[in-house]
Amino acid sequence: MIVLLTDIFPCPGMSAAFAAGLAFVVNSNSASISVIDMSTHQELRRVPALREPHHLIPSPDGKSLLVGDTAGNQMLFLDPATGEVQRRVAVADPYQLGFSPDGKFLVVNGLARNQIDVYEPATMTLIKRFPAESTPSHLAFSPDSRTVFVSLQGSDKLAAFDLTSMQPLWTEPVGPTPAGVLWLNGKVLVADMGNDYVAVVDPASGHVVDKLVTGKGAHNLFLSPDKRILWVNNRAGGTTTAVDAETLQVLKSYNIPGGPDDIDFAPNGDLWITRRFVEKVAILHPETGDFETIDVGRSPHGIWLNPTAPSP
Amino acid sequence: MGDPFDLIAGWLHETVLIPLLYALGLMRWEDLAHGWVLFAVYGAVQVVLTLAICLPLERWRPVERWPDKSAVGVDIFYTVLSRVGVLPLVTFVLFYQAQVALNGWITDHGWIPPMLERVLPALIGHSLLTFAIYAIILDCADYWRHRVSHQLRWWWALHSVHHAQRQMTFWSDDRNHLLDDLIAFLWFGVIALAIGVPPMQFPLLVLVLRFVESLSHANARVSFGVVGERLLVSPRFHRAHHGVLAYGRRSCNYGAVLPWWDMLFGTADFSRAFVPTGDPSGDEALATGSWLAQQRSGLRRLWLALVSRRKEA
Repeated sequence: MIVLLTDIFPCPGMSAAFAAGLAFVVNSNSASISVIDMSTHQELRRVPALREPHHLIPSPDGKSLLVGDTAGNQMLFLDPATGEVQRRVAVADPYQLGFSPDGKFLVVNGLARNQIDVYEPATMTLIKRFPAESTPSHLAFSPDSRTVFVSLQGSDKLAAFDLTSMQPLWTEPVGPTPAGVLWLNGKVLVADMGNDYVAVVDPASGHVVDKLVTGKGAHNLFLSPDKRILWVNNRAGGTTTAVDAETLQVLKSYNIPGGPDDIDFAPNGDLWITRRFVEKVAILHPETGDFETIDVGRSPHGIWLNPTAPSP
Repeated sequence: MGDPFDLIAGWLHETVLIPLLYALGLMRWEDLAHGWVLFAVYGAVQVVLTLAICLPLERWRPVERWPDKSAVGVDIFYTVLSRVGVLPLVTFVLFYQAQVALNGWITDHGWIPPMLERVLPALIGHSLLTFAIYAIILDCADYWRHRVSHQLRWWWALHSVHHAQRQMTFWSDDRNHLLDDLIAFLWFGVIALAIGVPPMQFPLLVLVLRFVESLSHANARVSFGVVGERLLVSPRFHRAHHGVLAYGRRSCNYGAVLPWWDMLFGTADFSRAFVPTGDPSGDEALATGSWLAQQRSGLRRLWLALVSRRKEA
């Protein structure tokens, strides 16, 4: 069994005790970002935000780490190598955010304000605002950067927007309380938090073509760096499920209590998972199912690992 | 070591609320439920902490002893309703939504939302100092709200529900007419929005401030001394505000947490010691009626105040 699991979850860095670099964890209710030394698992410092930061993403050129502070109406730009604040820019209600694969657009979901904003990243100029039916939550792009897909958590729908014409394409029902969105092998996957499955959606029509049962309250989903494993966090079940990204067969489920939410992947094969309700990050070793924990601030949400950052 | 209140709220959320919301198909309210349960936990801890400290104080050095304490029971209901039940949820949702809408609108128009830390960027990262400044501003605003509520007849008609209690204890802090609470919420909300108060950032310190307010109503012969009385509102100082000779426009000592505003604006009275409390101008239902009777009586008094004003005009 160990041999099989090791085959499924290759661990390039298993010989090293811990991966090097810095981890950034957004503490939503503490209004701060924890900067953690990945080699020692020590929290080095907390970068203060203004009110309620949630998600973060590195800029395409790798020079900045953008953190959206929703209630603070502010985007923080951090140095991804140190965590130093580069600048703070006024942005309305930045919840989930993402760069189109070609780097031309930054899309920002305003969850509380029911809006989806498209920015020109270099100048942070607002190009287009799409009104949304209800609570635009998470987003994903098509690989050609033409389309952005946004889950509308309050209306049980997924919406698609054409970034070339800047026009809405379709809005279709995908199941109760959709949250995380991911493009995978020509389909759009949407985690339905009000149920136990991930909806598989045809990106052209928006119709649900399949359902992948992962666990109660499927909330967010992430593709491993080698693109072999799809990881799904299930909020109500307190589990993290590994799925074969090619066949969409469930491989294994891990108990990660405490509201598992966002994931990032360390070079040694570990998964760093935020646990919203227990003020901790779990470091899951997939080959054994064991996990360690690191204490962070209140309601840890977004997480990003920078293994190339010099450890202090 | 994490924040124990946050961890308790997280545990309740994960083990009680989420399974319930999931079973009922209401997971879209999950984020909101998390905010409410945190408020409720802090509210419950406020009640327990206040009980643990104020009850022994009241038994140790009571100002008054009452053979029949049934009037206190209604105040307990007020407290639970106000700190643990529906009101925190409504307050949280309304204030949060208003803040999101206003600040987002301001940001959209290229302006910067009002926020203390934006005026004084050096405050970013100094949460204790920031909170202290916010608390001082809000306490000053509350002083003026309270003082005006004693000056206007129609407002006093509502506020007299708070003053009618002759058996004043630490439970009496939340004894308010719902309309009076609503006005206070709007007053507080406007000021808080104007200065950008973060509702969930400093819950522990809010808990401490609410404790001071409860303590100030305690039926306890407690004074903070000559200097302490001028730094923080004590049971002795606040009891003078509730005195039978200090109802309506005759009152003094309006401060909720800090006596500074009374000292600054000429309404402080440190001379009255442990006077009997109550509102002789109110009817009996206000003092000893049920929660519903008190609310009804407050409304009737409001109506009479408005009608007599019209007749005078």
